[in-house]
Amino acid sequence: MRLSSRLPSRSEEWARQSIALKGSVVLGPTFSLGILGLILSVLVVRPLRAQAIGQGFELERAGQYDQAAAIYLAALRADPTNLSALLGLERVLPPINRLGELLPAAQRAAAASPSNVALRGVLLRTYVALNEPDSGRAVALRWAAAAPGDEAPYREWAMALEDAHRHGAARDVLLLGRRTLGRPGAFGIELAELSQLAGDWEGAAREWAAALTDAPVQLPNAASALAEAPDAQRERIARLLTEGTPSTLTRRLAGELLLNWGQPLRAWAVFEPSVATPSADAAFAARRFADLAGARRTPDARRARALALARYADLAPEVGGAAARARADAARAFIEAGDRVAARAVLERVAQDSNAPPDAQRLAQRAVVEALIEGGQRNEAAQQLATNARLSPDDRASLRLRLVRARIAAGELDRADTELARDSSVEALALQGWIALYRGRLREAQRLFLAAGPYAGDQRDAVDRTTMVALLQRVPDDSFPELGSALSLLAQGDSLRAVAALRLAAARLATGESGGGGGGAGGGRPDLLLLAGRVAARLDTLQQRTALALFDEVVSTGGQGAAAPAAELEWARLLERRAQTAEAIRHLEHLILTYPGSAVVPEARRELERAKGAIPRS
Amino acid sequence: MKRRNFLKQLSGYVATGLSGDIAARLAPYRSSPLASLLVPMDDAQGDHLKAYGVTYRVVQAGIKAEWLLNYRGGSFLLPDGPAIRRDAALAGVSVEPVDEAQVTAIRGEIEASNMDAVPLEKAPKVAVYVPPNAPPWDDAVTMALQYAGIQFDKVWDFEVIGGKLVGYDWLHLHHEDFTGQYSKFYLIYAGAPWLAEMVRFNTDAAKRLGFVTVPDLKKAVARKIRDYVTNGGFLFAMCTATETLDLALAAERTDIAAAFADGTPMDPQADAKLDWSKALAFTGAHVEPNPQIASFSDIDGHQVNAGPRRQPLGAFKLFNFSAKIDPVPTLLVQNHRQVIPDFYGLTTSFLRSRLKPSDVVLGDEEGAPWVKYINGNHGKGTWTFFGGHDPEDQQHQIGDPPTDLSLHPHSPGYRLILNNVLFPAAKKRELKT
Repeated sequence: MRLSSRLPSRSEEWARQSIALKGSVVLGPTFSLGILGLILSVLVVRPLRAQAIGQGFELERAGQYDQAAAIYLAALRADPTNLSALLGLERVLPPINRLGELLPAAQRAAAASPSNVALRGVLLRTYVALNEPDSGRAVALRWAAAAPGDEAPYREWAMALEDAHRHGAARDVLLLGRRTLGRPGAFGIELAELSQLAGDWEGAAREWAAALTDAPVQLPNAASALAEAPDAQRERIARLLTEGTPSTLTRRLAGELLLNWGQPLRAWAVFEPSVATPSADAAFAARRFADLAGARRTPDARRARALALARYADLAPEVGGAAARARADAARAFIEAGDRVAARAVLERVAQDSNAPPDAQRLAQRAVVEALIEGGQRNEAAQQLATNARLSPDDRASLRLRLVRARIAAGELDRADTELARDSSVEALALQGWIALYRGRLREAQRLFLAAGPYAGDQRDAVDRTTMVALLQRVPDDSFPELGSALSLLAQGDSLRAVAALRLAAARLATGESGGGGGGAGGGRPDLLLLAGRVAARLDTLQQRTALALFDEVVSTGGQGAAAPAAELEWARLLERRAQTAEAIRHLEHLILTYPGSAVVPEARRELERAKGAIPRS
Repeated sequence: MKRRNFLKQLSGYVATGLSGDIAARLAPYRSSPLASLLVPMDDAQGDHLKAYGVTYRVVQAGIKAEWLLNYRGGSFLLPDGPAIRRDAALAGVSVEPVDEAQVTAIRGEIEASNMDAVPLEKAPKVAVYVPPNAPPWDDAVTMALQYAGIQFDKVWDFEVIGGKLVGYDWLHLHHEDFTGQYSKFYLIYAGAPWLAEMVRFNTDAAKRLGFVTVPDLKKAVARKIRDYVTNGGFLFAMCTATETLDLALAAERTDIAAAFADGTPMDPQADAKLDWSKALAFTGAHVEPNPQIASFSDIDGHQVNAGPRRQPLGAFKLFNFSAKIDPVPTLLVQNHRQVIPDFYGLTTSFLRSRLKPSDVVLGDEEGAPWVKYINGNHGKGTWTFFGGHDPEDQQHQIGDPPTDLSLHPHSPGYRLILNNVLFPAAKKRELKT
């Protein structure tokens, strides 16, 4: 069959003539011409074969399987052991329901080249795909006999069975292989995957644990695969991996799994012995555990991360400052986890380490001050800021502002004010605004917040300031110490007293007793009651009843202002949280119908749809 | 003449199941016996999807409404009343009070244009075919019904085999693989607990209903659904259900399920043995012979999970019909948008070459060999097929969060779904002579 309909090239024509000359080789000058012709003919035929297979690929890619099959079959007629053609047939024949035609070709190929492993594989897979198990088995066992100790025959056989979704048979083959080869850990990964497919998660865990002995690099794959286990199986897997005296790798696997399943402290307890003996491998493992724990934001996960970092710090090389940096990281992690005692202990080691590089020292010094601020030791923190020469100017400036924030939150307004005295930055303006507010100097606070704009702090800070400005605009008075105190109590976290104080402030507004400047009695009262209600709604059941009463009062007396619909929305939300859905729906409907122009109506509609089950709760 | 008779027939319908709130409040508090509310469905509408719900509840309350085909995006005309206004306000649906003179002007415009006014007098009783143990994906139709506040019942194989469909006017199918192969999910999700549970659940159902295999059960269910349509039911199917329903009907006596589904391989001569006269919409299709390929047949134009065969998404265009002569297709394509972005599903579209000549194409992608939205009659009933899974989720994966329709209140794709829900409330009219 012609491989191409085009005219032959000069070299091909030459080759053809050379082949014709084979039968009449003439000594002398034409002899070498004949030999040359023979060589050239072979060289030309090879590109022709590759070209044909290439055409087959193109047809296959275009989905023309019948035509592609014809190309591959033709190639095999020229060379029965052409692996590319056989593999091509293996791909294109099944979609056109002609897989049976591959068998004779595969048989011929295997017979022509019995030691060719790839051809054996094709024949084996073909028998399996055609559902001829006995023939497949015969081929596989002949192959195994020819290559004792080789896992390939069993692996290939099992893969073919798996492709045909005969998972049970595939498993039997792998177990046979394991027995025959005498290697208890052989095919661990494959058997783990098969167990998983069959829903036998404990079996999968057992196989993975065994496979890790020969292939420790598979640990991440093992953890990833077993992490998919359903909830009901997880405890069994964890117990299986941790019973008796598990190996180092098994401990690490169990640790990663428990971390993934939301038990970080237990994960660390299981994992820790695997990094007890110093080594580069243990250091790497500890760092990996810390990084995995760092991906989770729960308090326990933070603590587990801190413990892993501290251990890593002990294992990391001292040379180059890696250990010191790691200790600084660990200290920071302990602070985030709320364990200041552990943080101080780690930091002291860094501080005492005169060989620690400057950046590690700086990190540690900063962490010390942060720990003092977070721990409420604000005066000690101030002293550090004043005297510690190892803090960088930038760190000192940002820590000072952080200290000021902490003092404001603690009600130490005078100290905060003093520490801000010469600071004209935008951050300082915002903080001065809070100080003025908590002192009841409302107009000054408003001016300072507006001057700070949205640039101070993060987005949350900007939203808080904007919310406060909106509230202050409702209150007509320039000075209102009672309100300032109430808001200060709120900032300090004393919500119960803050609710009472806000109610008192609202009452003073109603009677016009609030203070200097501003407009007439009552302005801003519904807004203060709304704020009190919002705070109370987040507290216990008793306070929630107070909140309901406050919302009721705002709705009844709030008139056409923005506070009334906002209060009705909060009212409905609280009722919904208390599982009083019908009541919540009633209030939402009242809100939408009574205040159609209110800015909270779109939110109210969403709440209504959620309450009625019309949209998913998210 | 025929049209007058038709309208007289319609007026004879009496709605059942009054929506108490609306019916009770309407009579004594109606603003004026002549005033109406126009629910515009063009860009002036605040929530297109909920507008269907408001209209449905009016009709359900036994009150006459009208669907003004092609008028301002397919608007509705309702009688004015405080209860209806209240319902619309709560739903965020925009309404425009119109007096008698304005209504007359509207009718004049309708008469003079390619528009029509179709009375809506009977709210259909709606059923959704869905297994009791909800699979881990979402059904665009149930989401639309819930969002619009339209009640529906759930039915499954037990109810269908038990003959309960006769009590419903409208039936929806979505994910179900009527070939019994669990949508070939084993190719991607083998080992997933939910898939194992689905297999167990369906196998158990087959046994309890007296069928040897799940494919046998699903074929029987498919036949019952076809009978339901033959006897006058309205069927609306999306996604996998479209293609697999017809495959199951055509393969009544042929094994087209792979071995993992029924223990025996597919009949290698399946294509030649399919009887397309038994199917609703398709003909001459080739069943996918390879169980390793995530495709059912060549009916689907996009072949989303079939590797190299997958086609990219474009946009589909709704056809224009004569509202007065072809009210049914006109009604089914009512929308404020003509061109809609396409979206994948296990069955995304339908090859033109696989449609029966009697099928009406309602929407297609220009220049492409496939269509998106089709409709036809079977016996006394009607079926509509809409390719794709979720109009507002172009490529939905199992486990993805459900679509929140409050974020898509103007979805043109979802409007097509809701057109089908209201469709049974209007009767097909005879052609003018």
